[in-house]
Amino acid sequence: MPSILAVDDSASMRRMVSFVLTGAGFRVLEAADGQEAFEMARTQHVDLVLTDHNMPRMDGITLVKNLRALPAYADTPILLLTTESSDAMKAKGRAAGATGWMVKPFDPGKLVDVVRRVIG
Amino acid sequence: MTCSPSVDPGAYAPAAHECAEIAADLARLNALIADAGDRLLASFNTVSAALPGFDGGEPQQIQLRDAVAAAVTSLQFQDLAAQLIRHAQHRLDVLSAHLRALPAPAADGLPVAAPRPQPVAQGAMCSGPIELF
Repeated sequence: MPSILAVDDSASMRRMVSFVLTGAGFRVLEAADGQEAFEMARTQHVDLVLTDHNMPRMDGITLVKNLRALPAYADTPILLLTTESSDAMKAKGRAAGATGWMVKPFDPGKLVDVVRRVIG
Repeated sequence: MTCSPSVDPGAYAPAAHECAEIAADLARLNALIADAGDRLLASFNTVSAALPGFDGGEPQQIQLRDAVAAAVTSLQFQDLAAQLIRHAQHRLDVLSAHLRALPAPAADGLPVAAPRPQPVAQGAMCSGPIELF
């Protein structure tokens, strides 16, 4: 069962993501900010990271940069799921090594489709 | 406080009072939205826990599945609203700081705060675009 690390400082967002992806057959781990996610990802490898950007302690783009610096996450899909929709922010995400950018709110069916597509 | 000695310290009191009132309103709004979101989430958890045992006909199951999917999208309002409120609170803090730093009652208007990127551009709860790099 592929595992996904869902990162968001909003408990309701984590609940929605977890509900949708668990129902689609994925194992979902949750972290409340980038720092917690980075520590979790280092101790147990996941098949995909789905992260918010605006979070305390460590934001999503910094998390992408830090994960990409780890050999184990050089090729792991990392998706941003955020309210941010400006081209400038997307460019920063892309430069950091993100696999894709999704703007909140998400549609459950589209989220599952994208996750399946990038997880391969 | 950087006001010059010749400035009436109360010159900006009404504006500062308005800023404080707006900040209090935003804090109350944030608390109300958080409370509503928590209550809706609790209801959602109850409904989603009961879904696997639902034994209605196929049309009803599809209807229920669609309704739950729509609820998942709509329930994300709390996160968007909270971010918008934080953004407004920050801008209000900037405005208050400018008011405190003004050397004299401004004849040509208040200084303009440095532009900050707006974190939420959405105006409705329909799902957002997806871009794969």
